[in-house]
Amino acid sequence: MNRFALGTIAAALLALPMFASAQNAGPIRIGVVTPLTGTYAGIGAQVKFGLELALKEINASGGVMGRKLELIYEDEEANPAIAVQKAEKLFDVNKVDFLTGTVNSGATLAVGQVAERAGKLMATTVSFADSITADKCSPNVFRVNARAGMQSAALADWLAKTKPNASVFYLGPDYEMGRSTVAAFKTAAEGKGAKTVGEVFAPLGNKDYSPFFGQIRAAQPQVIYTSVAGNDTVRLFTQMAEFGIARNVQVVGASGTVTSQNLGAIGKAADGFVTGVGYAITIDTPENRKFVADFVSMNKDAPDLYGTDSYGVLYFYKAAVEKAKSTETDKVRTAMRGLQWKTPQGVKTLRAGDHQAMQDMYAVKVDGGRFEIVGKVAADAAIGPDLCTKF
Amino acid sequence: MDWLHFVLAPQVINGLSIGVAVVLMALGLTIIFGLLDVINMAHGEFYAIGAYVAVALIAAGLPFWWALALTPPLMAVIGYATERGLIQRVFHSGDRHTLTLLLTFGLSIVVEDVLKLIFGANPLRIDAPIEGATEMLGLFFPNYRLFVMLFGAMVIAAVWILVFRTSLGAMVRAAAYDRHMTASLGVPVNVVYAATFAFGVALAGLAGVLLAPIYSVFPTMGTDFVLIAFSVVIIGGMGSIKGAVIAGLVLTQIQSISSLWISPVWSDPLLFGIMVVVLMWRPQGLFGRLGHG
Repeated sequence: MNRFALGTIAAALLALPMFASAQNAGPIRIGVVTPLTGTYAGIGAQVKFGLELALKEINASGGVMGRKLELIYEDEEANPAIAVQKAEKLFDVNKVDFLTGTVNSGATLAVGQVAERAGKLMATTVSFADSITADKCSPNVFRVNARAGMQSAALADWLAKTKPNASVFYLGPDYEMGRSTVAAFKTAAEGKGAKTVGEVFAPLGNKDYSPFFGQIRAAQPQVIYTSVAGNDTVRLFTQMAEFGIARNVQVVGASGTVTSQNLGAIGKAADGFVTGVGYAITIDTPENRKFVADFVSMNKDAPDLYGTDSYGVLYFYKAAVEKAKSTETDKVRTAMRGLQWKTPQGVKTLRAGDHQAMQDMYAVKVDGGRFEIVGKVAADAAIGPDLCTKF
Repeated sequence: MDWLHFVLAPQVINGLSIGVAVVLMALGLTIIFGLLDVINMAHGEFYAIGAYVAVALIAAGLPFWWALALTPPLMAVIGYATERGLIQRVFHSGDRHTLTLLLTFGLSIVVEDVLKLIFGANPLRIDAPIEGATEMLGLFFPNYRLFVMLFGAMVIAAVWILVFRTSLGAMVRAAAYDRHMTASLGVPVNVVYAATFAFGVALAGLAGVLLAPIYSVFPTMGTDFVLIAFSVVIIGGMGSIKGAVIAGLVLTQIQSISSLWISPVWSDPLLFGIMVVVLMWRPQGLFGRLGHG
């Protein structure tokens, strides 16, 4: 009996390589390493919503080159170390062809190295940090969403048009992302004539911003730029309203500052806030209207930029595999460079030099709990220089 | 002169409003430690529960003032049940400090996740019941913050009177000084313990409601004031009410005023630096323990 069991196992092991080669006829597997729990669970939920909608559409219309798509989720808990383990598991155990889903920039960079070692390709749909497609670029990493520099460019353009030569006060959270977004916007805004009248960096998770209000009042800015996010935004905006700081001052900020996750808690204190983004639900095209309607009916929730770009990434993979007529890494990578594909935001182009997607950018203003488009910058004006030297 | 008026003065007053919040948190913590000898690691989560109870009451249609009035008694019930159901079970074991510390620490993790399950991870907000700001001598003070300062000062005074000027408070202080002697005099010590724990929890809950309109409500909010409240209790003297009030107000002033010159991220290291110095120089803290000379 024991001998029989062993024999079965041995036979199964021998058969494994056969299954592996037979995989080509099976589904194309895409691993999704995304935060389903923890701080960024709300973003992870949008990633999943977007992917599931695209998956349903693509598989219903015959899949990719006759093969179905299959998504395998792993929870990275917004922790780069866990993201690395989960990515390794997806490549080694689940034998996925591609990877996507990472949210925070640290996780994207770390998982990018895993993909490089595994000889596979990954794409982020959320991470903003410019470095991912600049000095820390990788031949195996692609970004289909807009990066921080493109968001800054759209916002700076709107600011220069509506408030020429404005005096700006900067308030950021004191960590890598907070400082780099402030620096990026400052460069973009000063390039278009804005003056800097002060800056302060508060600790991440700061309780009370009122100790900084004296400095802000004394500097008498016309514009306040902030890159705080999440709960910090709720507190900052509530307290600015409390102290009347935002009266007669235009508040602008990073795209992650006011999101669908915290907009409800900020309430009317968010009205008038302007930011630069790569997507707004109010983009008035037939493609976007259809996408929003389908998204809402499937997920009972409206799409934000994360959900939209995650929806778009499956069409990016589809277009690349169909162009390459293969799922082999080298062929698909060549196909991805310069690839154009359709998204709810319109046609995006993947720049070959740094693997950064080019797209039209928007300035949006919060008005009664909705993001209204107030400005637009063309893709080639927003993209900025190619700083990637690794390939 | 302008600098004193427009930079320093608002900083002092903003610091004072944060100080009152810290003292409310530290009071509950120090009373529980002073009497029960229990370091309540879940104190911040009771603060969070208080805020969420108020959110639920307001969502049910009650005005803010009712939520403010109803939350402390509701929190006292939760605190009483926690003490009788959990803490008293391990209280009489030889390893009380470690066991109660681990127990309340575990409780804090569970509470945070339960809050997330019930209310979701996204932040919520309670609208301030008093709007607008008062302009005094060219300076702006939000009316609600002025109210929090005044109300907080009254609560602190009431706690003081309760502990030091009533027979109820005498019982608590006696139990803190000598548990066995007090029990042999006919005081139901176990009930006094549970009631004191409930009182500390009610204070944390009260702070939760009171501060929700300023600091908003989310599952991890418990960690906000608890670190500074712990340092205040350690510096002021574990179990000292006077120490909690004085250390709370002084430390928040130091943090607030120092942030004019040093980068804000250094204000926490400064605080913990002071704590280390006090621990080296006077390990028992600045003031004596509850029930002791």
